[in-house]
Amino acid sequence: MPAVRADKLYKVFGKKAGKAVELLSDGRHRDEIADLNVTAAVIDVSFEVEPGEIFVVMGLSGSGKSTLIRMLNGLLAPTSGRVEVDGTDITALPKQGLRKLRSEKISMVFQHFALFPHRTVKENAAYGLEVRGVPREAREAKAVEALELVGLAGWEDKVPGQLSGGMQQRVGLARALAADTDIILMDEAFSALDPLIRRDMQTQLLELQETLGKTIIFITHDLNEAMRLGDRICVLRDGRTAQIGTAEEILNDPANDYVAQFVEDVDRTRVLTASSVMEAPIPVVAPDNGPRAALRTMRENQTSYAFVQRRDRRLVGGIKESAVGKAVRENAKDLSALVDAGIERVSPDTAIADLFAQAAESTFPLAVVDGDERLVGVIPRGTLLAALAPPEENGADDAADGGAEGEEADGAEDAESAGDGAGSDGDGDRKDGAEKGAEGAADEEPAAAEEGGSK
Amino acid sequence: MNTLTVSIPRLPVGDAFESAINWMRESLSGLFEVIGLVIKTCVDALYGLFAETSATQFTLLAAAVIAGGLLVRGKYRPTLIAIGVWAALYVAELVGGVAAAVITSLPAVLFTPAMNLFGAEYVYPPLVLALLLLAALMAISFTAARNTGQELLAALSAVVLFVFLGLHFIAGVQLALLVMPLFALLALVVAGWRVALFTVLGFLLIMSMDKWDNAMSSLALIIVATVVAVAVSLPIGILAAKNDKVSAVVKPVLDFMQTLPAFVYLLPAIAFFSIGAVPGVIATVIFAMPPGVRLTELGIRQVDKELVEAGEAFGAPEMQILRRIQLPLALATIMAGVNQIIMLSLSMVVIAGMVGAGGLGNDVYTGIAQGNIPVGFEGGLAVVVLAIYLDRLTGAVTRFSPAARAARAAK
Repeated sequence: MPAVRADKLYKVFGKKAGKAVELLSDGRHRDEIADLNVTAAVIDVSFEVEPGEIFVVMGLSGSGKSTLIRMLNGLLAPTSGRVEVDGTDITALPKQGLRKLRSEKISMVFQHFALFPHRTVKENAAYGLEVRGVPREAREAKAVEALELVGLAGWEDKVPGQLSGGMQQRVGLARALAADTDIILMDEAFSALDPLIRRDMQTQLLELQETLGKTIIFITHDLNEAMRLGDRICVLRDGRTAQIGTAEEILNDPANDYVAQFVEDVDRTRVLTASSVMEAPIPVVAPDNGPRAALRTMRENQTSYAFVQRRDRRLVGGIKESAVGKAVRENAKDLSALVDAGIERVSPDTAIADLFAQAAESTFPLAVVDGDERLVGVIPRGTLLAALAPPEENGADDAADGGAEGEEADGAEDAESAGDGAGSDGDGDRKDGAEKGAEGAADEEPAAAEEGGSK
Repeated sequence: MNTLTVSIPRLPVGDAFESAINWMRESLSGLFEVIGLVIKTCVDALYGLFAETSATQFTLLAAAVIAGGLLVRGKYRPTLIAIGVWAALYVAELVGGVAAAVITSLPAVLFTPAMNLFGAEYVYPPLVLALLLLAALMAISFTAARNTGQELLAALSAVVLFVFLGLHFIAGVQLALLVMPLFALLALVVAGWRVALFTVLGFLLIMSMDKWDNAMSSLALIIVATVVAVAVSLPIGILAAKNDKVSAVVKPVLDFMQTLPAFVYLLPAIAFFSIGAVPGVIATVIFAMPPGVRLTELGIRQVDKELVEAGEAFGAPEMQILRRIQLPLALATIMAGVNQIIMLSLSMVVIAGMVGAGGLGNDVYTGIAQGNIPVGFEGGLAVVVLAIYLDRLTGAVTRFSPAARAARAAK
């Protein structure tokens, strides 16, 4: 059962709201019904939020996102449509029931913090429990706990006015956490903070989410924030849903021109992760394979390297064609002496931006390993560059991906210098760098690329 | 008559008003009697407290100070039990003379020394009860609330009380000289030493002009009028803040109340309550109320919408949002309204003097009627002293609100 379900939600302000909903449900734009003298804030929005998910609603000002979030906890009644929380239709609830729902199931964090200036930090954090009628000692203990979680231990007896903006919003977050609800609504919670603090808060929220597993519905107008936080993102435009999907889906497969335009300026390297660009780990050899077999595998795959992994898929290291070739000539039987165990490993969740340095240092493609050291994929340098290009060039990029491998195979030193160049280019003008790299690679060995990609 | 003169029918506005008053007088006379009685009792009691303070009242005042200290330090239960027992005994005494019966049954030796000392002819039961309450609160201070500040406060209150009782009832110092320091002390605690100093000088001036009793009478009237005006204007202001329709209706009514010449209120007030302090209070309340309503509405509307929404988002009922969020944050503005009510009451006091409300207004009115410049001017000057005292006091009370404390801490 989804934690929150919105079903064909409409919110229209004005006297002729009913008529407006009728017209809007035919797919009309809200500007077309301007003569009704109504404001259509939310039009036909449906989505489901699973428990433990961070669901981000993204839109520019006036796109109806604040109205939408206020319908989810019943602060505003929808003009038409249903909102279900844990399976109960809250639009049918009486006032009393709504209050109970809000105090027990859904708490909220506000854009301008909305802390009570006349109460101490601790009393602010305990507010949700106070409303619920929890005795003072119990609720203050809980509040102190929540304040510790957000890193505000020792500030309990200050008043909000003594805290900086970032700390105030931590109190806001602690207030929502202390209320101990499964669902937290965050209305542009970090928008009023300056960029550095905003980043800190995002990191903290993600860490908290990892341990607490709340269902979070996060409103923002900042696409980078949406991409960073959201398990799934709902892009709103003029009150309607433009697209719902994961950050990668929205980035790589925008539903329409609006979304495409929107994501154009996104820093793709911070959104896309290693797992989204990695390729199948090819070729691999087992540690007990002889050098001859290893050499054959590399030749078959037309690469100058191979990854060595055990039967349980744990990564041991990498081997180079040159070294193996030498071993074969010297008639060596054992592969293990040739294995470079120190090759660069990255986790699947690493943002691409954090891969460049490692990629530049390594003579192997980056090995993507999971928590148990199992090899789940590889990222050749060319793939990394291609990932920077906007989606419409994807077709060409795919072809280019493998090509880079071929280039690397020829000489590690060459590749390294190319990688360096791309890296520094990338800082100045990423798209150019990516295109250059892709083109160069594609020219050299398109066939090998296709093979590498498809296997 | 010229041909172009248009005849405009005479509307019986005044007559209609009068007949409305007469109708209300006949049909609601019971209600007005009760209101009048309550107001009169309150004014008389306050005047008695200020100008004819009894030993019981002094004792209860000392007990109130100690109890206040205990409550501030969070000793709710023992304090409230002591006060509750006292109140129950007091009521029992009023109803059935229980305390008096107990006292008579006790051996007379217990009371004779004190009676001789004060030259009293009988034991006044409420005084005994008050002394018992004082003793109980002292005991709580020294046992339950072991805390140097509290013990000091209790001891000091008791010492001051007995010094006062001794000075007045044995040495014969006049009451005004004993009550005045209490006013100054209140000013010192609430508003600081400058206001306290002004209080001492100002009130000495009043005493030297021989206006003390009149000033206390006016003070009693103002306090009663203010309490009634606040009690009426606060709920109206809250309703107007919550509901635009109420606000739209209330606003023109308030305009009307404020602009109608103050003297005109005396007409119905006299019709309903005849002459004396009561019509004075009623006229004062009507005249002084509007800023209370306006500033309450403004204060509540000014509270950040997001804060109210935060209350709603955590599921707080409307009354709780009002009590714990809106009112505390609007308090500074509301107190400005209370301050305005007091100032308007003071200006109304003189007019109320015309209907025999007594006090300083009476002096001013006499001055005008008889061309007695000294009496009129001295009365006016005493009003000014009272006005400044009350203004500074109410202005400073806001300092103690949680919002103001938080704002100071944030600096």
